[in-house]
Amino acid sequence: MTSHLASMVVFALFVSIVFATLMRDEPREQLRFGVQLFAGLVGGGILAGWLQYPLPF
Amino acid sequence: MPVAAAASVRSPGITYLMCAAAWLVPGAGHLLLGRQRKGLIFLITLPLMFACGLWLEGRLFPFELSQPLVALAAFADIGIGIPYFVAKAMNQGAGRAIAATFEYGNAFLIVAGLLNMLVVLDAFDVAQGRK
Repeated sequence: MTSHLASMVVFALFVSIVFATLMRDEPREQLRFGVQLFAGLVGGGILAGWLQYPLPF
Repeated sequence: MPVAAAASVRSPGITYLMCAAAWLVPGAGHLLLGRQRKGLIFLITLPLMFACGLWLEGRLFPFELSQPLVALAAFADIGIGIPYFVAKAMNQGAGRAIAATFEYGNAFLIVAGLLNMLVVLDAFDVAQGRK
């Protein structure tokens, strides 16, 4: 888990599980919200990384 | 029977004791309120996230009021409850600033504590019958 991507994915997984459990009551809704949140966090992280790629610093 | 369990917690003293238990042991508040599934998820996930932070060589920050950001990070770290004190007692969380994963470890430790604070607030709301 020492790569940046793996660390980010594990972090997103933990945060998604806790928020989905906190904010939804039904298991099906929790799963759906958790998957959406996880995809958003990981996709957003990768997108932010790519947007920074052209920066000189 | 979450609703019945929540309705039985009326006394403010019991509610605050329950919140203290929820802070010390992640998920304990929900377990005491009869929400076993949520409580178990928090009980497993949050200490595991905290342990990952230690494994990634993050630092448990000291309470240094002369450095406000460090003090805030320390406040967030302690939000996880008993795992924080266990780690301190075992001399874990010294942090290794030159490790590639140092900042990730800090993020895991801090966010685990902050998430547990949210879980405590959620347990308080459940105990008050708001959820």
